[in-house]
Amino acid sequence: MSVVRNISPPRSAYLHIPFCYRRCFYCDFAIVPLGDKANHSNGPGSTSIKSYLELLHREIALTPSGPPLSTIYIGGGTPSLLSPCQIKSLLEHLKERFGIQSGAEVTMEMDPASFGFEELEAFLSLGINRVSLGVQSFNDEVLEKIGRTHRENHISQTCKWLHQAIENRKLKTWNLDLIQNLPEQNISCWEKELFKAINTHVPHLSIYDLSIEPGTVFSWKESRGELELPNEDLAAKIMDLTNSILCKAGFARYEISNYSKPGHASRHNRVYWSGAGWWGFGQGATSSPWGKRLARPRTRNGYQCWIETQETSGPDSSLSQSKAVPINLDDLVLTGLRRREGVDLEALGIHFGWSQTQCKEFLPLLERRWERAFKQGCLKRTGNRLKLSNPKGMRISNQVFLELILWWDSLPESAVSVSNP
Amino acid sequence: MTNVPVSRLRNFCIIAHIDHGKSTLADRLLQDTGTVSGREMQEQFLDNMDLERERGITIKLQAARMNYKAEDGEDYVLNLIDTPGHVDFSYEVSRSLQACEGALLVVDASQGVEAQTLANVYLAIENDLEIIPVLNKIDLPGADPERIKLEIESIIGLDVSKAITCSAKTGLGVPEILQAVVDRVPQPKDLIKEPTKALIFDSYYDSYRGVIVYYRVISGRINLKDKILLMASKKSYELDEIGVMSPDQCQVDELHAGEVGYLAASIKAVADARVGDTITLLNSPADKPLPGYTEAKPMVFCGLFPTDADQYPDLREALDKLQLSDAALKYEPETSSAMGFGFRCGFLGLLHMEIVQERLEREYDLDLIVTAPSVIYKVNMLDSESLMIDNPATLPDPQKRDSIEEPYVKMEIYTPNEYNGTLMGLCQDRRGEFIDMKYITTDRVTLIYELPLAEVVTDFFDQMKSRTKGYASMEYHLIGYRPNDLVRLDVLINSERADPLTTIVHRDKSYNVGRGLVEKLKELIPRQQFKIPLQASIGSRIIASESISAMRKDVLAKCYGGDISRKKKLLQKQAKGKKRMKAMGKVEVPQEAFMAVLKLNQ
Repeated sequence: MSVVRNISPPRSAYLHIPFCYRRCFYCDFAIVPLGDKANHSNGPGSTSIKSYLELLHREIALTPSGPPLSTIYIGGGTPSLLSPCQIKSLLEHLKERFGIQSGAEVTMEMDPASFGFEELEAFLSLGINRVSLGVQSFNDEVLEKIGRTHRENHISQTCKWLHQAIENRKLKTWNLDLIQNLPEQNISCWEKELFKAINTHVPHLSIYDLSIEPGTVFSWKESRGELELPNEDLAAKIMDLTNSILCKAGFARYEISNYSKPGHASRHNRVYWSGAGWWGFGQGATSSPWGKRLARPRTRNGYQCWIETQETSGPDSSLSQSKAVPINLDDLVLTGLRRREGVDLEALGIHFGWSQTQCKEFLPLLERRWERAFKQGCLKRTGNRLKLSNPKGMRISNQVFLELILWWDSLPESAVSVSNP
Repeated sequence: MTNVPVSRLRNFCIIAHIDHGKSTLADRLLQDTGTVSGREMQEQFLDNMDLERERGITIKLQAARMNYKAEDGEDYVLNLIDTPGHVDFSYEVSRSLQACEGALLVVDASQGVEAQTLANVYLAIENDLEIIPVLNKIDLPGADPERIKLEIESIIGLDVSKAITCSAKTGLGVPEILQAVVDRVPQPKDLIKEPTKALIFDSYYDSYRGVIVYYRVISGRINLKDKILLMASKKSYELDEIGVMSPDQCQVDELHAGEVGYLAASIKAVADARVGDTITLLNSPADKPLPGYTEAKPMVFCGLFPTDADQYPDLREALDKLQLSDAALKYEPETSSAMGFGFRCGFLGLLHMEIVQERLEREYDLDLIVTAPSVIYKVNMLDSESLMIDNPATLPDPQKRDSIEEPYVKMEIYTPNEYNGTLMGLCQDRRGEFIDMKYITTDRVTLIYELPLAEVVTDFFDQMKSRTKGYASMEYHLIGYRPNDLVRLDVLINSERADPLTTIVHRDKSYNVGRGLVEKLKELIPRQQFKIPLQASIGSRIIASESISAMRKDVLAKCYGGDISRKKKLLQKQAKGKKRMKAMGKVEVPQEAFMAVLKLNQ
C-alpha cells in the first residue's frame, strides 16, 4: 500500500457537544437546544446530556487506536454547558485510547454566561489550555436580534477572567468569535465592536461573515424581506476595515477568517487546512483520519443507530489506516490558499501523488485560468508559493476557487484519481 | 381493412382553441369506437410528442382511422385528422382541412369562441367543409351552452339548432357526435377512376424507415407495387410500405380515393415530402397537382450559439437531424466576433422557435445561447439594390442606405370588451395602426390593427395575455412591407459591441429601448472582478449608459473540518453556473441576458 506514504496518522481530535440554551437565528449546526433544562441546577445532569455522553464514550471506545494526540478541540454547541467532571472523563477517555502529548493544544468552546469563575478554574485545571469564546457581538441590541442569550456585561466579566488566567499562566491562549455583516450593521457600530474586542487583550480573533443558511430563522426572515443586510459594497468595506484595524492592533490575518498575535495561531485549525488527518467524535461531527471525510448523522437517533451499527459490524472503513486515500488536490489548494502562507502547487501536486510530468502538464493549465486573478492583483507569487492578496484577494477568493474547481473538473480521470503513485 | 366503399368513408377534423378539449375529445372518440382500449389509452393519444403533452397543445398533426357501426347497421370508416392549434402552423392547418369533408367545431361551453378558432373555422368554411358545432365541458359548473350557441350563431353565422352538447371528460354526448359525423359529414367524392392524386397533410422522420408520409387519397388508387412521384419536389420513390393508422400503423396493399393513410418509401428528409405536396403515380401521373402548395417561409429569426464552443459540431449535427423532421426549420452558419460560431435560424413563429430550442436542449443535450428574435428587414440601398436582412447586426451603415422597410401583419384580437382600452394601449405602444373595432356580441369585440411584425415577435403575446387575465386571443397574417424610420441600436459591453444584442428599432423608441436595455443588462449580468461599462448606441452616438460595479466580495466564511465538503459543494454549484455563461471579451454573460430586449417590460 504505497498510497499511505503521504498520509501520516492523525494527531488531532474533534469532539462535538451539541447542546445549547437555544438555537441562534443564524445557526444551522447539529445542535440540541435545551432551553430551561440547561439551567445549572439540573442542566448538566439532565438525562439528555448524560445519555449523549454515554454514546460519545461508546464512539471513542470503538474507534481504532492511534498515536498520542497533539491537538484536541471540544466544540459545539456549547461545551461549557457540561460540568468539569463530564469534560474530565472525556479527556481521560481520549488519553486512555490515544494518549495526549505533552504540550498538546486543548481547546474548549465556551459561551459567556454559561459558566462561572469556579467552573472556569476547574476546566483549566483539567488541561484545557485554549478557550474559544462565542461572543459574536458586544452590542446588547444586536445580541438580542441574533438570538443570543448572553449580554455585554457577561462578556466583559468572562473576558476579564480569561485575561487574568493568561496573566496567571493558567491558560496559554484564547480566542473570541465575532460575526460581521449582521443585519443593520454599519461602519461605525462595527468599528466599536472591533475596539471592544481589542480591549479585552484577546490574542486571537475569528471573524466570520454572516452567511444565511437554509432552515435558519434568518433565512426565513430573509425570504420575507425582513432582514436588512449590508449591501455588497458596505459588506466589503466592513471586511476590509476589520483587516486594517486588526493589523494595526498587532494581529496578523493568518487565514481568511482568522487573526492572531504572534505565536497564538490555532494549531488545531491548521490541521484542517493542511490536509493532515483528524478524528471526529459526536453527533454531526466530521472526521478525516485517513483522507476520506466522514460526516456523522446530525440527529440523536441517527447517531445512536450509526454507533450501534459500528459496534456490531465494525468501525466505518474510513477510520482504518488500510483504507487511506490521498486528499484531493483541489481541496488542498483551496484550504491552503485561504492561509497567509498560500500554497506551493508543485509540492502539493507531488504530495497528492502526481509525477513531475503530471505537474508540468496540469499545473500550468490552472495558472492560465488564474491569469486574470494575477492581473487583478488577487493572486500573488512569492518564490514557489502562490498567495491570495490581502485584503482584495481574500475578499473575492471564491472567484479564484471557482477557476480551481473548473480546472479540476476539466482534468482527465486518471489525473484526479491518483491512487497508486 | 380495405375495400371500404367510398359511400361509407367519412373524413373529418376537429377545430378548437387550446384548452377547449380537442385532445380529450379525440381520445374519447378513439375509445368509444374501440379503436384504442381504455387500458392502452395514454392520456391525449394523438399528441405524441412529450413537449405537446406538457404544453397541452398540438404541434404535429396525427391521424386515426376508426371503425364505427352506425344506426343504419352499416360499418363506416371514420378518419379523424388532427390539426395543430397555433398560429405558427396555419399552413399545416389549411392542408389538413383540405383532406377532410367535415369538421367538428369544439367550443368550451363556458368560454366561448376564441380568435384562433375563428380563423380556423373561416378556413374550414372556405374549404367547403361541413361544420358540426360541439359544445364541450358542459359538465362544468360555469357552462352556459345556450349563450355560447348564440355566440357561435352571431359570430360565425352557423346554424346551431343541431349543435351537440358534450363532455369529452365524462363521455356524455360522444355517441351523438359519432352518429353526426356519419349523418352530416359528406362522403368523399368517388374519383377512384381518375388519375391518382393524394394530398400530403403531414410527415415525420423515422430513423429506421425514413420519412413517414400521411396523406389523403383524393383520386385514383395507390398500390404497394406502384412507383410514386411527388409533384412539388419532383422526386420519385418505390414504396416500402403503405397502410392506415388505427391509430397504430397497420399495413395494407392498396388505398383508394377518399381514404387516409401513410406510406414509407425510404424518403430521406421531410423537405422531400412536404405538407401540401401531391403524390401521384410515376407511370401514369396526374397532369396537375392539387392546389395550395406553398414553400415554408420563416418569419422569425434568431441566432443559436453553443455556450461551449466545443459543442458547435454537435449543434450542427442536431440541426441537421431536426431538419429531417421539420421542413420549416431553416438555418445557416453565423459567425460573430462576440459569440464565435453558431447558426442563424429561421422559424415560422415564436412558438416554433421555442419548440426547436427546447428540443435541441432536451433531446440533444446542448447548452445554447439564443439571441432575441428578429424579422426580415428589406433594406433599400442608395445604389438601388435591395437587401433582405435577417440579422440586425448585419444592417449596412446609414450612409449606404436609402430606406428600411419592415414586415407588417394584420392582427385580430378577440377580447371581452372590458379589456379594450388596455389592448388598444398595447397596440398603440407597439406602433400599431388602428383599423377597426367590431362588436361581436354585446360584451365581446374584435380589434383589428396593422402592426410591425417586429413588435409582435417580442413579448406581444405575453403582454396581451397578462393585460387581459388570459381572456384575449389573437391571430395575425403577413400583409407586406412598409418603410419606417428605423435605426440600428447597438449595445456595448465593456466597450465592445455585442452583436447578439443589436436590435433594429424605430427612431422614436430608440432612446427608451436603449435605456431599458442597459438597465436590464445591469440586472442580468453578475458583477465581475472589474467594472463593466454598458452602453447603448446608435452609430457612434451613445444614447444610454450604465455600469456594473466590480465585484467587491465573494468569500466563504468558516471553512473547518466538516465545512469543507459543504462549502465546496456551494462552489461547485457556482462553477456550474459560470460554465453556462458565455464569455464575451472579458465579460461572462448569462443566457438570460441575450433575451434582455424581451424583458424590458417586466
